[in-house]
Order: sequence, then C-alpha cells, then structure tokens
Amino acid sequence: QSMSLFVSPAQTAAWRKQIFEQLSERSKREMDNFRHYEQAIEQSVWVKKGSM
Amino acid sequence: MADDKDVLRDVWFGRIPACFTLYQDEITEREAEPFYLLLPRVSYLTLVTDKVKKHFLKVMKPDDVEEIWFEYEGTPLKWHYPIGLLFDLYASNTALPWSITVHFKNFPQQDLLHCPSNSVIEAHFMSSIKEADALKHKGAVVNEMQKKDHKQLWMGLQNGLCCDELCLVQRGGFWTALISSLFRHSCATLFISTTSNRPFIQKLFRPVSLDGHPHTLGDLLKEVFPAAVPQNDGQKKYQVVIHGIEPMLETPIQWLSEHLSYPDNFLHISIIPAPSD
Repeated sequence: QSMSLFVSPAQTAAWRKQIFEQLSERSKREMDNFRHYEQAIEQSVWVKKGSM
Repeated sequence: MADDKDVLRDVWFGRIPACFTLYQDEITEREAEPFYLLLPRVSYLTLVTDKVKKHFLKVMKPDDVEEIWFEYEGTPLKWHYPIGLLFDLYASNTALPWSITVHFKNFPQQDLLHCPSNSVIEAHFMSSIKEADALKHKGAVVNEMQKKDHKQLWMGLQNGLCCDELCLVQRGGFWTALISSLFRHSCATLFISTTSNRPFIQKLFRPVSLDGHPHTLGDLLKEVFPAAVPQNDGQKKYQVVIHGIEPMLETPIQWLSEHLSYPDNFLHISIIPAPSD
C-alpha cells in the first residue's frame, strides 16, 4: 500500500534549494576557519590529458 | 542554482576539523602536544590517522604502546563507520574542532573491531560495497568486477578521489554502475542516538511507491522511526542528519541515495535528540 506524500514542484524546488544552502553553510562552519589545519590525506594530483 | 553534481562534490570533499589529545593516563616520556587535523568525512578514522599515531608515538615508550583507538566523551569510536557519520551521531551540535581522545592501551574489545592494518579496512569497505550491490542490483555489478577493479576502487578512496574522479578512472564504468540510479531498493541505515541506547536499523526501502510516486525521507521515517517525524504541534524531538545537514522530509529517497550515500553505497542517517534550547 502506498503511503507516499504528494510532492509538488514548489516543494521539489524547496528541498533542493535547502540542501544546497545547508551544504554551503556546512562548508563555512566546518572548513572555512580551519583551512590552516593539516589535511589527513593530501589531495590527489589529478592529471587531465587532452590535446589543444 | 547550483548543479546536483556540486552536491556530490561537497559530500566527497567534506572535512571535519579535529583536535586529537592523548588520554591523560597514558605514560609518556614528555608532554604530548595536541594534534590538529582535517578529517575527510567519507573516510575511516584508522585509515587517515597515521600522522596522529606518529605524532604521539614520539613521546611514548615503545613498551607502553598497544593498538591505537579513539574515543569521544567516553564513547569508543567505531572505525568501521565513516568519520562523518560518527561526528553527526555523537558531536554534531558541539563546538569545533571535534575533540578526540587517543588511547594506546585497554582496547575496548566489546565495543570495537581490531584494526591491525589497512587491509582490514579494505576488506570491510569492499564487503559493504558488495552488500549494497547485492541489495540494490542483485550483485550484478560487483560480480563483474575483477580483483584489479576492486583494488582501483579502494585506492581511489584511500587517495581521496572524489565521486566524479572514480567514475572516470574505473575501467568498465563499474563505479558509475554502482551508484547508478537504476536500483530496485535504497540501502538506508538509520543510526538512532537516544540517551538510553544507540541502536541502528538497516532498512531496504523502495524509492518509488507501487503507484509510481517517489518515496520521501518522511515516508522512510514514518515506517522505521515515526518519533523522528515532527508532530502536528510542530514539536521536533529529533534531528535527522545526513552529512552534517538536515534535508527536508519531502526530499525523495531516490535523490538522497544517489547524492548523499557514502562511498560504501549506503545512505547513513543519524537521528539525534534535538537541542533543548
């Protein structure tokens, strides 16, 4: 038996927008003031190959 | 508005600032300074704390060193859960940096699995991937993978590759297939933190209802842990946290599984008491 909530387009925009905003706030909260900390793992070097 | 791929990037590049201090009863040759580190949310504690171990070993006598383990406010931290999940579950409403205590003695065998080497973490990680694939795709993806594909996937996580990069480097598109939206069930694990105990509930959940409507986070909670759904009076007893954020209950489970699953392919959800103020 279905028990799904009806999700309107406006609500879709709302949840997506809220996730983007919260992730941005999370980055500020958890990373912006601590960028001078050492990284536990150094970011891998990602080499992109291509031709001009 | 940002692209959905930005969400994946934020999730995979999430870092938690941590301050490691040595347990007061550990015997040292001189004072142990705290050690500060940015921990990747999607990795595992014992995989990314070599620097911490080396730092504290400098002040300890070799005879006083046994297996390292970590604790937060009296709770041993289970290395086999991702770091972000541990933080959300135990420390999400506390001041940063996250204060973690380091132990080299009295390993709590009843609470933690031993982790003598990274190969144990690798085995655990690959076993989680296989379990998720069995539930989502009936094992169709992992069964096709060769040993070198497994290694490549593991090395990707170990070296901090993000989701996009794994898609690019994996031969045969295995990673793309693993996280593909064409799955029958979402693998959601709800970790519930209450004052009395800390159970977890693993739940297979269809992303779409029988009549074709997308199931939402609210639907999942109603079925598995209804107390986490705010009552009609708007009172919120619990926070429902994934990767440090509280998605709205209208968020479709399908989208959450695709974008907020951990690298082990499980959607780990922390349910914690709402702050009282």
